[in-house]
Amino acid sequence: MINFKNVSKVYEHEGEELVAVNQVNLQVERGEIFGVIGFSGAGKSTLVRLVNQLEKPTDGEVLVDGQDVSSLSAKELRGMRRKISMIFQHFNLLESKTVYHNVAFPLILSGEPKDEIKKRVEEILDFVGLKDRANYYTDQLSGGQKQRVGIARALATSPDILLCDEATSALDPETTQSILELLRRIRDEYNVTILMITHEMNVVKDVCDRVAVMEDGEVIEQGSIFDLFTNPKHQTTHKFIQSVMKDDIPQSILKGIEENNHPRHIYRVTFLREHAGEPVFSRIAKRFNVEVNILYGQILEIQETPFGNLIVELQGEDSEIVKAVHYIEETVSVERVMASAS
Amino acid sequence: MQVNLFDFWPRILEATHETLLMVSIALVLATLIGLPLGVALVVTRDNGLMENKIVFNVLNGVVNIFRSIPFIILLVAILPLTRLLVGTSIGTAAATVPLVLFSGPYIARLIESSLLDVNKGVIEAAQSMGATNWQIIYRVLLPEALSTIALNLTIASIGLVGASAMAGFVGGGGLGDLAISYGYQRFETDIMIVTVILLIIIVQAFQAVGNYLSKKLRRL
Repeated sequence: MINFKNVSKVYEHEGEELVAVNQVNLQVERGEIFGVIGFSGAGKSTLVRLVNQLEKPTDGEVLVDGQDVSSLSAKELRGMRRKISMIFQHFNLLESKTVYHNVAFPLILSGEPKDEIKKRVEEILDFVGLKDRANYYTDQLSGGQKQRVGIARALATSPDILLCDEATSALDPETTQSILELLRRIRDEYNVTILMITHEMNVVKDVCDRVAVMEDGEVIEQGSIFDLFTNPKHQTTHKFIQSVMKDDIPQSILKGIEENNHPRHIYRVTFLREHAGEPVFSRIAKRFNVEVNILYGQILEIQETPFGNLIVELQGEDSEIVKAVHYIEETVSVERVMASAS
Repeated sequence: MQVNLFDFWPRILEATHETLLMVSIALVLATLIGLPLGVALVVTRDNGLMENKIVFNVLNGVVNIFRSIPFIILLVAILPLTRLLVGTSIGTAAATVPLVLFSGPYIARLIESSLLDVNKGVIEAAQSMGATNWQIIYRVLLPEALSTIALNLTIASIGLVGASAMAGFVGGGGLGDLAISYGYQRFETDIMIVTVILLIIIVQAFQAVGNYLSKKLRRL
């Protein structure tokens, strides 16, 4: 659906070159929610604007539905833009116009007949849950409602692609969740392909199918959200994951590992996919002569699959503990926590 | 010789009429010049919708030149042009020509700054929807700036009331002229006071109307 082929964007400012996007290759499939995550300045804002040509690439090509968008004439580009909608961090609504007029705006631009505009706007406002706000002005709305208007406006032309530029970054966590829920519904009900950029890992975690991590204009890692979480290859990716899931071991536990010169049996147990639901600890407690003490940990749900890790201490005879660890290893991944682990 | 204020009343009314006529005609014509000029300044500037260095620099220079000339000098300097346009170089109509040339470029600057205040993100959003540059100008820039433009035109119209006082030099008449020629030059203090009070009322009324319109135009 969207295909970046060796795309670069270089800005020139007073003789100095700034590489915003560097040799990016990405493929976004039809009907998927694809996330691009990166810290500010990573080039993701530029990247998303290359799709609808608000920015022109200096090298490489961006294909939408097989069509190189930078080769389009001005008129063809305007036609293409009606099929690629965009929503923004700061909503970018017309302040002088009502909610109704804002949503109708793209249809007015393309000269649709009035009665068809009315029908479409009412339908879309109903979809985003703002039917009763049609005659409000934007300064009478909350942030979440404004973004719903932005989304309704984006959907008015029945687009194939929705670009989201930090669409939830100005919203509180609860409102963020409701907007993400709405985006998921858009994908499911209208089969819209969504490309979103964000610096928030919890947004990516909750809604994206696949994700690319950007740093200094380059895509440093990409894959399914689950693979990224469970097996991050890059330091920056790891940092983003840590922003939603603490997987380093607290100092208090590391300090207590050596107790009376006698090493304690502390393990990190990582749960993946189907095994996350298994009662491993109660089983080893029954089967072997050990006691399990959970010290620390976190379980997250990623794409409706639980994932997480727990720091546990096993207490008992050394031989029993070895057997218990072997048993755990058959189902989930486990590693001994050493004092030097940090 | 003192003038009886009561007998003089018709003359004051006539002067009020002249002032309002000069100011309103000049305001309309100057806006017709200033609005497209202001839009052109905004769209041709760096990173504008239709960036064009040459056009921008020429327009910018011309506006600056007109804005530098003191009104009283402009009034005299363009007398031949005035004669060409309205057939005479004296009277209320003749005073309107320099008023238009004086406030047109000023209004262009006011429009320019009003349009530059429009949120860049909204313009980007319109572009992302496939709007043409003209659609962005008349469906985004102008409606979003209209409320500010109304306030700025109020400033311009009050400036015109002030400038019109100098119209006496070409026999343009008006309240300002009356205040100067009777009140100041002939020491008719009561006439001066009356005309100044009338000017104050006019300015207050303009500002009130401007504020009202600006508030109304915030929501279209």
